[in-house]
Amino acid sequence: MVNSFFFVGLPYIALFSLVAGSLYRFKSERFSYSALSSQFLESKKLLWGSVPWHAGIMIVFVGHLIPFLLPGLWQSLTSQPAFVITVELLGVAAAFTALVGLVVLFVRRILSRHIQSVTTPVDLVVLALLIVQILIGIQTAAGHRWGSMWSVQTTTPYLWSVLTLQPDLNHVDSLPPTVKLHIAVAWIIIMLVPFSRLVHAFSLPIQYLWRAPQQVIWTNARRIRHIAPVIRKAEESRRLFLKGALGLGTAGGLLTVGVMDKLVRFFSGPNMTPEEQAALLQKRLERLEMTAEERDLELERMRNDYIFVANLKELSPNDGKYFIDYQMRPALAYRDTEGFPLLISAKCTHLGCTVASSVDASGRILCPCHISYFDLKTGMPQPGSPATKPLPLLGWALMDTQGNILVSQAPDGRREGEVPADKLDASMVYIAKRYEETV
Amino acid sequence: MDVRAQVAMVFHLDKCIGCHTCSVACKNVWTDRPGAEYMWWNNVETKPGTGYPTLWEDQLNYRGGWELTGRRDLRLRCQTKASSFLKLFYNPNQPGLDDYYEPWTYRYQDLFDADAGDDQPTAVPVSQITGEVIDIKAGPNWDDDLSGSPIYAENDPNLKQLTEDERRMLFEIENIAMMYLPRICNHCANPSCVASCPSGALYKRGEDGIVLINQDKCRGWRACVSACPYKKIYYNWKTGKSEKCILCYPRVETGQPPACFHACVGRIRYMGVLLYDADRIEEAMKAPEASLVEAQRNVLLDPNDPDVIRGAAESGVSEAFVSVAQRSPVYRYVKEWELALPLHPEFRTMPMLYYVPPLLPISGRMGDGIYEHSADQFFSHLDKARLPLRYLAALFSAGNEDIVRTVMKKQMAVRYFKRAQDVDDIDPEQVKRVLREAHLTAEQAETIYTLTALGSLENRYVMPPIQREEAIEGAGGPGCSPELCKGTCGLGAVQPPRRGA
Repeated sequence: MVNSFFFVGLPYIALFSLVAGSLYRFKSERFSYSALSSQFLESKKLLWGSVPWHAGIMIVFVGHLIPFLLPGLWQSLTSQPAFVITVELLGVAAAFTALVGLVVLFVRRILSRHIQSVTTPVDLVVLALLIVQILIGIQTAAGHRWGSMWSVQTTTPYLWSVLTLQPDLNHVDSLPPTVKLHIAVAWIIIMLVPFSRLVHAFSLPIQYLWRAPQQVIWTNARRIRHIAPVIRKAEESRRLFLKGALGLGTAGGLLTVGVMDKLVRFFSGPNMTPEEQAALLQKRLERLEMTAEERDLELERMRNDYIFVANLKELSPNDGKYFIDYQMRPALAYRDTEGFPLLISAKCTHLGCTVASSVDASGRILCPCHISYFDLKTGMPQPGSPATKPLPLLGWALMDTQGNILVSQAPDGRREGEVPADKLDASMVYIAKRYEETV
Repeated sequence: MDVRAQVAMVFHLDKCIGCHTCSVACKNVWTDRPGAEYMWWNNVETKPGTGYPTLWEDQLNYRGGWELTGRRDLRLRCQTKASSFLKLFYNPNQPGLDDYYEPWTYRYQDLFDADAGDDQPTAVPVSQITGEVIDIKAGPNWDDDLSGSPIYAENDPNLKQLTEDERRMLFEIENIAMMYLPRICNHCANPSCVASCPSGALYKRGEDGIVLINQDKCRGWRACVSACPYKKIYYNWKTGKSEKCILCYPRVETGQPPACFHACVGRIRYMGVLLYDADRIEEAMKAPEASLVEAQRNVLLDPNDPDVIRGAAESGVSEAFVSVAQRSPVYRYVKEWELALPLHPEFRTMPMLYYVPPLLPISGRMGDGIYEHSADQFFSHLDKARLPLRYLAALFSAGNEDIVRTVMKKQMAVRYFKRAQDVDDIDPEQVKRVLREAHLTAEQAETIYTLTALGSLENRYVMPPIQREEAIEGAGGPGCSPELCKGTCGLGAVQPPRRGA
């Protein structure tokens, strides 16, 4: 009988009181909804009362709410001992924090004359009930350990049974008296909410998070006109969206047409006029010829120990003659002041451009790509040029018309053989394979 | 352009005699209630002085108003949206009873009940909060006329701008200068109190810009008390709600000036409509400190400009309001003559109460009380003034002395001009020169004189029109009645303001 009053009758009275009472008070006595702060009258003790109380009770409240709302999740979490210990410790710590805050608030309300002038009997009743409730809660946590685990099988189904209007006492019947008391006091506190300052909990100003900073209220026609721009703005944004969608659609369509065209052409093959075909074949032929020529040169260099460069008398000291060396690189041939040939690579050591052939007044040749000057005699780049490495000098051999080697010079400048001055003009310049291998 | 109308005010400080009649009128009409005894919606302070509540200008302590962040964002100094939730439980920046005073009355019955004796019976002071006999330690204008006192005036935060020398001179015996500063809610165009209210109870009336608190929506979180840099929102300790100056809107709506205006003995107060462009406020409030006054003037619109009249019609400001704005004395003082300045524009709330800085304590530094009258040196003693210009600049122009100097020159020029007319002891050429230097024409000087010295009731208070038809239109049509959308019918609380349990 007592059980059914405290765990069936009282809960419904409390819930009815909470919902109907708060709504009625909100409808008819809205002015009375307030946090009723007394910080104005006394602030030092309030800091040590209000802050720990609210911080503590919010943690405790959430801790009670989760096993009730998400029993499945809670059960799986509490299967880990580490989680249970953490949660219980946190809960007890929060409960003590809240208790300290409450006691400070209570003492403050009793002792301060200023606070007394704004204290109602209900304030004191609520404060006392809350202190009692927290003490019972701490006693439960200490005496009937691991409530975070057993509550899922007991109080959670009990609360659900109450809320679903099928109150089932079996879940709470076997609970220890402390826990039963905790539940009963909770129902009493809930019942008192609309008759006490506790209603301020419903006033938590969540909407402040998203509302505009300034609030202007019109009663006149401006109020309606004020709404008009909002509608206009919505229309405008719809128009903008449509425009944007149209633009994107058009662009996408064009892109698709282009891609489809390419795809179709790729699969159906080119469709050319005879003239176009002739031009294309001509181009291919030219490319093949060039490749063939290149291959010929390569072959020549692979097979022969000597490659003809020029007749010595054709060479000049000021303007070089281009030829291709054994490694298929461009090179330049000059005649030096003694009348002997001077062969130098024409592939710039900077980025591989072909160096120009003419020699300037100070005996330098120029790579036109990035303006690197090279000394013709040594191949050294002028300091400050982009190129830092010298152009390699090449070895050569002079032959007479019968094919006898008269004189030859290695890239390092060693010279072998003699040649009479009168035969020099008639001789021919060759590059020799043996010098390439030593390079 | 979003044209809005604002019932704005000018207080001419040169005319204020510090009699507190305005405060008493307000107290008798509005704050003579339990929980509101300590509130002075209108108060008069002596400057230099600490004001009411004590040191209200010290925003390092109270953190009121807006601040400009490094990225040129305007944000409340007191809270972010997130931190406002932490401050619900305890607000470290809220002024307490000690910062105001404990309201008291006297036990007058003692005078009748006292036993016969040799001494006169006395009425002992009792606290209006606890009912106990108290020793009065402070009051609402406790430092009244106490310029120069080391415990009050010397703590004035505005004195930080002065040099050591200037401070010493200011407080020298026989040289002490002071002025009166009557203050009510500024009904700001960019109110930080409205922005701070977590419950959304504070709002600005669209029609006339009066800032009000919906008492039914207020939940007593007190954020507005610390957010208002002028400390013109008071927490009613009895009802658990915040209250503020309502600019006597029931009177204004019926074409009467507010009680404090009506009661003003010195006729220092002017009321009129200003039109402003709400779209430009945010940018203007982000101006650097020295140009805040100028930026604020630029937000105000010329009610005679055809574009503005058209914009007003489009924005729903009625013709009646525009025609009232065209006759507004406030517009003349603030924008046309540039004589009236906002109080502490550096709080960036765009206050709609403007002050004409006082000229009298400025002058009077010359020997034997005789002022310099030659045009050559006429303006030179501005910089030798008893109340340093820099002090006034700290109050009215966020430290920009040039603005205050210009205002002073104009006021001096008007006096010079009138003296030439009435006493006829000044060469007219010199008068012309002084007027030219002050950037005034003779006609302007004459109108400034007329409105300042001779202004009649109708000229000083050009009230907004009574717009009954709009209220009716709202009640019937698709709008809403005043009770529905503002939570009040304009006739005060419908229920007695009973404290909740």
